[in-house]
Amino acid sequence: MEVAVRKIGECIERGKVNRTSPYPRDMLGQDGSDELTRQALDSGITAEAILQACNEGMKRIGDKFGRNEVFVPELLMAAKAMNAVMSHLKPYFQTGVVKTKGKFVIGTVAGDLHDIGKNLVAMVVEGNGWEVVDLGVDVKTVKFLEAVNENPDCRVGLSALLTTTMLNMSKTVMGIKSRFPTTPVIVGGAPLTQKVADEMGADGYAPTPQGAVAFLDRGAGR
Amino acid sequence: MSLVEVERGKDTFEVTMDFSDVMADRGEIETTLGYKSGEIPVHFSGMIDETLLQLPIRCEIKGGYRLLDISLPGGRSDGVIIGSRLFRTGPIVMTQLGKASKGALFVCTLGPLMEIWARRLLKSNDPALGYIADVAASVTVEAATDRLQAHIAEQMHSRGLKITNRYSPGYCKWSVSEQHLLFSLLPDGFCGVTLSESALMSPIKSVSGVIGVGREVRRRKYICDRCGVKDCTYRAMRAPRSAKKAA
Ligand code: B12
Repeated sequence: MEVAVRKIGECIERGKVNRTSPYPRDMLGQDGSDELTRQALDSGITAEAILQACNEGMKRIGDKFGRNEVFVPELLMAAKAMNAVMSHLKPYFQTGVVKTKGKFVIGTVAGDLHDIGKNLVAMVVEGNGWEVVDLGVDVKTVKFLEAVNENPDCRVGLSALLTTTMLNMSKTVMGIKSRFPTTPVIVGGAPLTQKVADEMGADGYAPTPQGAVAFLDRGAGR
Repeated sequence: MSLVEVERGKDTFEVTMDFSDVMADRGEIETTLGYKSGEIPVHFSGMIDETLLQLPIRCEIKGGYRLLDISLPGGRSDGVIIGSRLFRTGPIVMTQLGKASKGALFVCTLGPLMEIWARRLLKSNDPALGYIADVAASVTVEAATDRLQAHIAEQMHSRGLKITNRYSPGYCKWSVSEQHLLFSLLPDGFCGVTLSESALMSPIKSVSGVIGVGREVRRRKYICDRCGVKDCTYRAMRAPRSAKKAA
């Protein structure tokens, strides 16, 4: 039983999605996270145990990313393997048997259309067990406020790529903080720094998706 | 091969480039992704192959420039006057353009198709391919801007003039909001690029800037040590290889 669960975690770490997936080369022809999760559930392993193994797999690949041993493509393969697990676990989430770690509302701020960075953060955060509400790009403050209102326990992530749109980010942080002072807000994007984030009144800043996960997992800002 | 330019107005020219005019460098895509030479996993290397097949189909590369008089404002302004408008470029760009008699305001774009494709893949079943396609598009638009710059150099050479490096709003302490001033001096929808209120160009894979032109000017090393931006990719990755810089 333990071996089966451990194998799922390995598939997440290595980004092995299913039997037909050619990635990674040395796992060619082997079952991936898709088949192994189905088999595990059929043999009575709990959704919780599977999720735990996945989170550990995600953490290992995240640590490697942090050490520059792997790069964004590997991280995205891991996220894809995680999605395959999630599709099997969906019913368990719906019935409340297992729970996500919480909700993360993310969007690219008003005036900015960049979404690659934001999408990467969303995928990795989701792969790490959070439910992600992606508001898209060019998101005005009122849309963020509506989302927080609808998801009162959420954390919020804001992304911006230009110094000009960073000004809108600052306004959005202020808007959220004045209406929902206890909602944690993390900001990111190329022109951001910890100093700028502090000046905006954000609770956190991270230069990478892994940094966002670390912020959320430590319950920062709450 | 030389590019053919079409006149769009007084001293205003547009060129259309084929992907083969540009030749984005595969090694550059790999290093931008983070991998050291020869260390990229085979699977991702295959994705670069796939992207390189798509690039010629999905790139509609256009570049253009307008030549305008350039002068220094005198006094204590940190800027240059291009076409009678004062650009507050900051001291770094001002010094580099100081000896120029003309400024070539330029725009270069890949068109929207690559970014649409990359975004679709990233959101669907193939996020790694989508990401690689996005990075390849960024590398390609840089290469296209290099080609545009080489073209401007050739054109100016035939008039007995030389060019400086290229400088872009948003770099070297030149505020990105000055994009508005730059675009106000170009024809509407020049090269199919438009500017939003927040100074963002659409299509996203676009680069803008200015190149100094004159008898006395020359290309030189970028003086990154005088700019405070620590994580500028050009400082981090390209400075040792070439002395080139744009977006
Ligand atoms: C590639 C690139 C380009 C490419 C493509 C851009 C694109 N977005 O597709 C091209 C060559 C077209 C380009 C053009 C320009 N660029 Co440019 N570009 C870059 C570069 C080198 C990388 C950007 C990128 O795609 N990164 C990859 C993605 C995945 O990273 P990311 O979006 O930053 O997201 C990551 C993190 O930031 C973080 N993150 C993102 N969001 C969030 C949110 C949260 C909550 C968290 C926690 C983390 C997080 O996680 C993500 C994954 O790791 C950066 C420099 C740099 N070091 O970042 C400059 C940069 C973004 N560009 C810059 C500028 C100025 C420009 C131009 C205005 C220049 C010009 N005048 O032509 C134009 C604008 C283009 C436009 N459409 O308006 C500036 C922006 C700062 C500023 N001054 O405003 C930068 C920062 C360079 C600099 N000066 O240091 N650019």
